[in-house]
Amino acid sequence: MPDIIGKKVRRVDGYRKVTGEAIYGDDLKIPGLLHGAMKYTDIIAGTIKKIDLSKAKNMPGVVTIALQKDVPGMKKVGPIRQDYPPIVENKISYSGDVIAVVAAKTRKQALAAADAIYVEYESLDPITDVETAIKPDVRLIHPEYKSNIVNHYPLRKGNVEKGFSESDHVIERNYRTGFHEHAYIEPESVTVVPDYTTEGYKIYGSIQNPFTTRKVVSMFMGIKLNQINVISSTLGGSFGGKDDIINNLACRTTLLAHLTKKPVKITYSREASIKESYKRHPYIMNYKVGFNNNGKLNSMKINILADSGAYSSQTFFVTWRSVVQATGPYEIENVETDIRGVYTNNTYTAAFRGFGTPQVIFAQESLMDEIAEICNISPRDVREKNGYKQGSITASGQRLTDHKVSLKQVMEAAVNKSDYESKIQKFRELNKTNERFKYGIGLACSFRGCSLGAEGIDTSSAIVSVQADGSIIIFTGVSENGQGLQTTFSQITSEILGVPLADITFLNSQTSAISDGGPTVASRGTLVGGNATIEAANIVKNRIFSVVKDELKVGKLEDTRWKDGYISSKIGKEKISFSHACEKAVSAGVNLSAYGWFKSPDVSWDDDTGQGNAYFTYVYGCHIVETMIDTDTGKINVENITAAHDVGKVLNRLGAEGQVYGGVTQGMGYGALEDYNIQNGEVKSLNLDEYLIPTIKDIGNIDPVFIENEDKHGPFGAKSIGEPTLELTAAAINNSISFALEKQNYELPLTLEQVFLGKKLVKPSRQSEVVHASKKYKKQVPYINKISVKTPKNIKQALTLMSENKYKVLAGGTDIVVQARHKIKPLKLINIFSLPELKKIKVRNNEVEIGSAVTFTKILNSEHLTNFKLLLQAIKTIGSTQIRNKATIGGNIVNAAPCADSVPPLIAYDARLRLRSKENERIVPISEFIKRNYRTIIRLDEILISIIIPKPKNYFYSYMQLGRRNAVNITRMSISVLINFDDKNRIEECIIVDGSLFSRSQRIEVVEKYLFGKKLTKNMIKNSVKYLSEKIENEIGGRWSAEYKKPVFINIYKSALEDIYKQRKQDD
Amino acid sequence: MIDLEFQVNGKEVHLKVDDSKRLLDILREDLDLTGTKEGCSVGECGACTVIMNGDAVASCLVLAAQIQGSIIETVENLEKDKVLSQLQESFLDNGAVQCGFCTPGMLMSAKALLNKNSNPTEEEIKTALEGNLCRCTGYIPIIDSVKEAVNKN
Ligand code: FES
Ligand code: FES
Repeated sequence: MPDIIGKKVRRVDGYRKVTGEAIYGDDLKIPGLLHGAMKYTDIIAGTIKKIDLSKAKNMPGVVTIALQKDVPGMKKVGPIRQDYPPIVENKISYSGDVIAVVAAKTRKQALAAADAIYVEYESLDPITDVETAIKPDVRLIHPEYKSNIVNHYPLRKGNVEKGFSESDHVIERNYRTGFHEHAYIEPESVTVVPDYTTEGYKIYGSIQNPFTTRKVVSMFMGIKLNQINVISSTLGGSFGGKDDIINNLACRTTLLAHLTKKPVKITYSREASIKESYKRHPYIMNYKVGFNNNGKLNSMKINILADSGAYSSQTFFVTWRSVVQATGPYEIENVETDIRGVYTNNTYTAAFRGFGTPQVIFAQESLMDEIAEICNISPRDVREKNGYKQGSITASGQRLTDHKVSLKQVMEAAVNKSDYESKIQKFRELNKTNERFKYGIGLACSFRGCSLGAEGIDTSSAIVSVQADGSIIIFTGVSENGQGLQTTFSQITSEILGVPLADITFLNSQTSAISDGGPTVASRGTLVGGNATIEAANIVKNRIFSVVKDELKVGKLEDTRWKDGYISSKIGKEKISFSHACEKAVSAGVNLSAYGWFKSPDVSWDDDTGQGNAYFTYVYGCHIVETMIDTDTGKINVENITAAHDVGKVLNRLGAEGQVYGGVTQGMGYGALEDYNIQNGEVKSLNLDEYLIPTIKDIGNIDPVFIENEDKHGPFGAKSIGEPTLELTAAAINNSISFALEKQNYELPLTLEQVFLGKKLVKPSRQSEVVHASKKYKKQVPYINKISVKTPKNIKQALTLMSENKYKVLAGGTDIVVQARHKIKPLKLINIFSLPELKKIKVRNNEVEIGSAVTFTKILNSEHLTNFKLLLQAIKTIGSTQIRNKATIGGNIVNAAPCADSVPPLIAYDARLRLRSKENERIVPISEFIKRNYRTIIRLDEILISIIIPKPKNYFYSYMQLGRRNAVNITRMSISVLINFDDKNRIEECIIVDGSLFSRSQRIEVVEKYLFGKKLTKNMIKNSVKYLSEKIENEIGGRWSAEYKKPVFINIYKSALEDIYKQRKQDD
Repeated sequence: MIDLEFQVNGKEVHLKVDDSKRLLDILREDLDLTGTKEGCSVGECGACTVIMNGDAVASCLVLAAQIQGSIIETVENLEKDKVLSQLQESFLDNGAVQCGFCTPGMLMSAKALLNKNSNPTEEEIKTALEGNLCRCTGYIPIIDSVKEAVNKN
């Protein structure tokens, strides 16, 4: 029984992380540091005609501006094909291309100078879809490579045509997936310090693969590997995402350090990160499959186009994994697969946890469900019938004999844990009676090759260095990316040498201190790095043993026990402390540092046929996802996910569970939420308010289930866990949605529109204006320029100031500070946030008056406002707790965003606004205050003082709001309804207000009029829809979004009224 | 420029800073408290969360002028004399920390909640943390940690 392997162990780097002491890329402070910023392209595709640096060079603080001509070494880099210029010469291929890099004394100065670089272009029409890109005669993105096809991997096994002809059924389906952004919470940061001892550089930062960074920078700078020492900082998430992008950033930063002879730091804003960084490849997949009535697969033909974007990057590797795994874990005699990576003018694509598998698993597993349905067998049966068993032969002709093939086992474990079979029955029953909410359950399986496979040389290194006092230092060639590798390796060392974890220190990777351990990718860290650590620890163990064996009176190492800091004899009573043994060994002149090296078992691949032993071992997994879908809106709720994985051996239970929770949640985001909005090559979703990743309220229960079939190649039998957890979830969600809706879905992500309409709804890109030059007065990436703030002592002073000069009002600041980042001109603000007069809630006989600077949290907690239920319910959903603690009701109203959630209820309550200037005061109804989105009637010298709301009667109310997430939403639409009945049960008052539907929120009077005087019945609700429908058609019918918005608004309208209908019935 | 007097982690601070600075910049640049992180700069990720006058706020949205006279608490204040708070201990024991970049913000949001509500429901915990994005942990261990800290306190 191992002592510490398999237990729940705290992270060894956890202490620093919970105290704020851990140093991440941007936390590094160095005296004399300069800051860098990029000048990005202003166009998507084309050529640079002229670059004018004259203005930028003279900006304050600017030290240097680098162009491609300043690069001393190779101008282009890339893991296989060197097609990526960290700084372009004159060709523009995507919206994240960098034209110049500025170094200045402060970050703001660098950003301002970058914006002042003036460039003239000749624009080309971007090519943004792969199907166009591969047409003959289409423009070549990189003419030097003679084709827009980056690579083509074929796989041929058997004879597919023959297989089809022998099948009872042949079906063909097309699947699509979108881009996927890593959204690590830490944006990229690199700091480079000139190193005079090596005439080279020290490179720090959020670096996933230090050895790759070193190699790329050495090529770019034309210097030797031993002149560069890459030292990773604590990494704030990576998921495959801080590889190429960070290498390229390191190139630019090093160039600036070279030119200025000073340390330089570049830290990205979120916008720069999303704009420039690579994503997961979108795939277009065509699957043709032949199978028999009993569900047995005979033949499969697969054709895949992967959007590589503007550069090839990791496309070669990513698509190779897809070709190996495209058929899923199913034995099929005849397979023909072709995958091509294709250049476009989109954001380039590369590594992302899962690495070419979530896409094919989605297609393959959706297909399996359809086959099951056609054959009238269960999804589980069709998988069991075809699934890999011991000795099965994969599509690439590999016989699976060397490890335990556990597909059936993982599936069984997931099925049992989730109670799959009975839930299928239960959900079917529920769905028969439930109109609006449908329940879904879906299953997906996968097999996954561990480590790099035939992708590359697969070796790794570790050093275990025992000190004279028995304390231990480890460091390894693979690195800690947050996944917990330091902890696992410390556990391994602790297990072998029997020392407590507290005596082990893990040093962050330094490329100059250890030989290349290969990249920390492909969930290989534990497997290869762990084996290297075992080897090193065992070498040291043997050396210590040779010194103490006489004292312990034993002849063989097997006769000793190494535990709790002691080495003892298993035969006799002799015992020596580990530290004492080390002391002895050191005095005996024994070297207690050892180098461990691991080389993976051999693999093989034939590029022409796609046949070979692709990986030396595989893992198996099965996810079962339960969802609830609101068919009125297309909104999915993921309720429960069971994730069963054969991991070989769980080394740290806490770490393994963490990988499952995290991977599954990312997979859920990929499948159901995350929608990278890129139109005509231009990225629209540049921050986390538009690129939505799951919040704490978006994920239901997750049940991790581990199956342990120890692998002979793995450290203590362990294999991989990081990526398998992500790759299955989206496929299982899709199957569960298809189950619920009884309709197959073929595209990810499952946005509201995708679920509701069965298709994506994209804003028709306006005939995009052709850009010829850098825009003046526009920031490429937002940052705060210059703000000046006056804080008056009272309102009178504030109003006097307002009358004298053009100011903007700073209340909570949650909108204005965000907007300030986009402004070029200095912003002058009057800070009214703390004026006591504006922070009061006054109660009078028949009305309340809320000061404009009262925060939403205050409103929610106020004892005076408990009757304003509609308002409270709307406010609860605004932003997050942090936002509601700061945002004010006045700010929300004056900002007049279409999604300002407090406005529709205030319209419904007939609120009035007290506006005051130095000389005057006026009171206007809120319905007249907002003219249209972001436009109000407030004058420049006026301040909104308060909001006056009549005390509500005893209304029945209903508030429905739709957003893509369950928290921190931008409201897609909402409806506020207040209704009163007379004593004959007829509607005597009726107020209905839209949110985010029309050009401004308003009462929907035609409908109100229709409802007035009638009894609220289901029939009447149905009849009233006609009026609403006409109104919507007239106002927004022509808009691209109406296809979704119109029916969905009608649906939420009906639900709101039905809600009141129900309340009313209960009341009776 | 503005003359600021306020309190951070129990200490009085007097500073002269540029009006354009956000509380986040003042903490990270002027006071060297780099535990508070910047992930989005627009109030969406919560990595910059600190407690201001008892409430969790996104420090990337608080301008210098608005912290005059206020009381600020950051992640650096949670450990006292090398002893971790229960919340920190629970985060470590339950695997609520992976890359750790969201952790300071998470801890501060959780602390602000527990200061006001010593026995929150799961829904209240989620609401308190809804503005803190985590890309690594899938949130479940974080919820468990807060619950555990509640039970152990
Ligand atoms: S940095 Fe403040 S919320 Fe993201
Ligand atoms: S632990 Fe990495 S973002 Fe939360």
